Amino acid sequence: MLLTPEVIAILILDTIFLLFACFAFYISIPIALKWDINSTSAFQYGLEKKAILVATIIKYIFVLKLPLFLFFIFTSDKISGVITGAMCAAGVVNSVDFGLSLFIFKILNLYIFGFWLFLHTEDMKDEKLKFTKLKFTIFIVAFLLLITEIFYEISFFTSLDVDKIVSCCGTLFSAASTSTISFIFDISNPVIVTAFYITFALYLITFFLKKESLFLASNILFFIVSVLSLILFFGTYIYELPTHHCPFCFLQKDYYYVGYALYITLFIGTFIGISGSILSILKPEFSQNYYRTSLIFNILYTLIVSVYPVVFYIRNGVWL
Amino acid sequence: MESKINHFMIGFAISSILRRGVKSFFTLFIFTSLIFLLSSILFISNSIKAELGFTLKSLPEITIQKLQAGRHTNIGINRIDKLLEFHGVVSAIPRTWGYYYFEKAGVNFSVVGIDSFDKQYKNSFESFVEDVDFDELSKNSSMIVGVGVKKALNDNYYKDYFNFVKPDGELQKVTIASTFKSSTSLESNDIILMPRDMVLDIFGMNENEATDIVLSVANPEEIPTIIEKIRNLYPDTRVITQNDLRVSYQNIFDYKSGMFLALFIISAFTFFMIVYDKASGLSSEEKKEIGILKAIGWKIDDILKEKFYEAFIISFLAFLSAIILALFFVYTLEAPLIKDIFIGYSRLKPTFDLPFVFDFQTVFLLFFLTIPLYLAAIIIPSWRVASMDADEVMR
Amino acid sequence: MIECKNLTKIFNKNKNDEHTALKNINLEFKAGEIIVLKGASGSGKSTLLALIAALSKPNDGEVIVNNKRISKMPDNFTSLFRRENIGFIFQKYNLIPTLSVKDNMILPLIPSNPDEKVLETAIDKLLEKFSMESKKNILVKQLSGGEQQRVAISRALINNPKIIIADEPTANLDGKLSLDFIKIIEQLKNASTTIVIATHDPLFFDLDFVDKIVELKNGEVIDVINS
Ligand SMILES: Nc1ncnc2c1ncn2[C@@H]1O[C@H](COP(=O)(O)OP(=O)(O)O)[C@@H](O)[C@H]1O
Ligand SMILES: [Mg+2]
Repeated sequence: MLLTPEVIAILILDTIFLLFACFAFYISIPIALKWDINSTSAFQYGLEKKAILVATIIKYIFVLKLPLFLFFIFTSDKISGVITGAMCAAGVVNSVDFGLSLFIFKILNLYIFGFWLFLHTEDMKDEKLKFTKLKFTIFIVAFLLLITEIFYEISFFTSLDVDKIVSCCGTLFSAASTSTISFIFDISNPVIVTAFYITFALYLITFFLKKESLFLASNILFFIVSVLSLILFFGTYIYELPTHHCPFCFLQKDYYYVGYALYITLFIGTFIGISGSILSILKPEFSQNYYRTSLIFNILYTLIVSVYPVVFYIRNGVWL
Repeated sequence: MESKINHFMIGFAISSILRRGVKSFFTLFIFTSLIFLLSSILFISNSIKAELGFTLKSLPEITIQKLQAGRHTNIGINRIDKLLEFHGVVSAIPRTWGYYYFEKAGVNFSVVGIDSFDKQYKNSFESFVEDVDFDELSKNSSMIVGVGVKKALNDNYYKDYFNFVKPDGELQKVTIASTFKSSTSLESNDIILMPRDMVLDIFGMNENEATDIVLSVANPEEIPTIIEKIRNLYPDTRVITQNDLRVSYQNIFDYKSGMFLALFIISAFTFFMIVYDKASGLSSEEKKEIGILKAIGWKIDDILKEKFYEAFIISFLAFLSAIILALFFVYTLEAPLIKDIFIGYSRLKPTFDLPFVFDFQTVFLLFFLTIPLYLAAIIIPSWRVASMDADEVMR
Repeated sequence: MIECKNLTKIFNKNKNDEHTALKNINLEFKAGEIIVLKGASGSGKSTLLALIAALSKPNDGEVIVNNKRISKMPDNFTSLFRRENIGFIFQKYNLIPTLSVKDNMILPLIPSNPDEKVLETAIDKLLEKFSMESKKNILVKQLSGGEQQRVAISRALINNPKIIIADEPTANLDGKLSLDFIKIIEQLKNASTTIVIATHDPLFFDLDFVDKIVELKNGEVIDVINS
């Protein structure tokens, strides 16, 4: 157990989220089950008001979760100074077995809660409140994911051990590692680079086809391939070290915090692409602007990430 | 989602806050107090951490003490030659020092013996041993004291000398040659420097004894091996590394700040309840006001938005004033009361200055520890108000 | 324009003090009409106005305005509906006394974040209409009753409502001011604004510009006079 003020802040917020989420969940069940917009019963009017409370609570949680995610990485980075062997957040997160799961849940929840708010905004535009039932059904699932994340996070901080020696990111993200993700290092550089640019090309094609389901799929694919290629290939050019594959170190000052720029553009680009596509499948008259926003951010991501190897090549005349 | 800032709404929020003057002021006051308490704790702990960081750097890499019957006793200087033979040991210096309890002020001084011939073990002393004429010191039996010591002596009317009581009850008069202040006040504040012979005399120690021996090594990686060898050669010694000191400092420190944070959590909870209660208990006037707003076209969401604007304005004011107050309290007033509790052993040590440390990490941390709490406290009451039926206004 | 079908409102339903305030009301008002709801205190006039403005929900029946079933709209949408379509004049003015005349007038528009210039012209026009230009920045609590009434009317008109609802507008006014108010109403009469006034003030009962007088008693319509 490591009670630094940063950890306490996260734990306090987790507690608040937990309480509010449980409360919202309790209210959501009748909404998900008994919502009937045509009913004129006092019960239905009550549900309509309660739905607004739940939406407010979710907004509150999401608005705090976004910066808190960065704060979490930052805190883990800071703790890495205390934990033997850890050089950055990666080592700290991986010092417990479920570190990777915690991380995946965190990202997944950001997408889901963000999408929920997106859906909510659309829902509130029409007095028929067509998506309310769907919204609350999604929330019930999102609630379970959130609870899992919070429990992971609490046990993460309570089981952090200053005396335990952990692996640093250098060994975690290497072919020699035995961690759950090491298998990806079997992919060779040319393969992953080609895969990345092909995925990007596919993404561009679906952009011009303007078919939601294809755009949705290409965004998801683009996200996955981007993260993989960042770890396997592009990261090494940011560090200018062929063996350093850590997806966290470039969040630090030494690399001008470029990691934040990368993750934020990738998140916005794919998030808007994914949520926008799903929304326009649900609601055909949904504005098509999301195509462009998604495109801008994904191109921005691709540009930033491509600059590193190109500049390296120009300066040194060789590839890493 | 409206992205444009609605300054009409902000204006209305401000006038609502002013309209409920006493209530708003009360909330502002307790929220400011909460943030103030927390930021003072964080500022002090950051400062002490920084101070400890400096101190640790100047501490010896390895300290060897002799134990007898489980207690620390003086160590023979003759061991030095053997120690210097170990591979990797760069220097081995005997230190002669001890605590002198000054009863009238109720504080402990650290009396440290210096030797012009020995290589000094602390950088901070080194620089200053150069400026001071060492021979002069021993000739006039005088000493150099830290600012904290100087103050404690002054307060008890010892202006230019001090009488040490030797173990045999005799007095030893030592004049104060000068005062010094090193970069880190935590370590040097309570220090008295004087020639080694005089320290031996005051503490009644033997010529060929020292309090402990400090080693410096060429390569920190070799420290474990060296320790192992020392333990084998001298089983009656205790070997302390810089890292051991760091951990024990850290432990005491975390324990203290843990206590404070527990206190904070209790205050935060109290604060939450008070704000929740204040936000729930609406006067009939406020209820009517909400009714009017809803009747003339404000949505539940608009009223919630307005409530959040109010909360933001109050939080922002509280945040800003609390941080300014805390900076003033900690760095200008030197954090009376809280600092003493924090340092714990301050009763036994003369006071010291807190170095100024301020970073944005702490501001973010303060933000996450306080503002969400306030917002959380008003969500449900605000929703309750906002979703009231508006037909009340018709009656 | 405004249609009430089988409207029933029961307060404290299924409780000891259950009270049926409106019973099976059927009414229809056309655009541009001025309607007076008359009836003794407690006959259900205010309750009916609240239902027409969707401030509360009926227990049965529906209110349809401009082909929209407003009695079934969710809360947020009824507010939006009122913001865009209804101007309210309450019996007790319902101004915020510690705000200035201008700040009271803009209250209905604040949520829609209006353009400063457009708003300013609208305010000045209304103040001029009611000869209140000099009072623009004066706190409402410093105004006389008649002036407060005029601020309340200005506020009701700021959003160019299609429907104006007035509940006992002259109850707190003396004879002369009541006549002034009636003049203002007459000026407001035009082809597109519907005005519904609930009152038991006899001054309203034989005005030639009133199109319809509806009489309520114990929550039921007992008489409708078209003039
Ligand atoms: N919120 C309420 N709860 C219980 N009874 C109410 C409520 N509002 C109005 N009433 C009752 O409904 C009846 C009609 O009231 P109202 O419409 O205000 O009458 P009017 O405006 O014609 O004087 C009255 O008997 C009143 O007591
Ligand atoms: Mg009435």
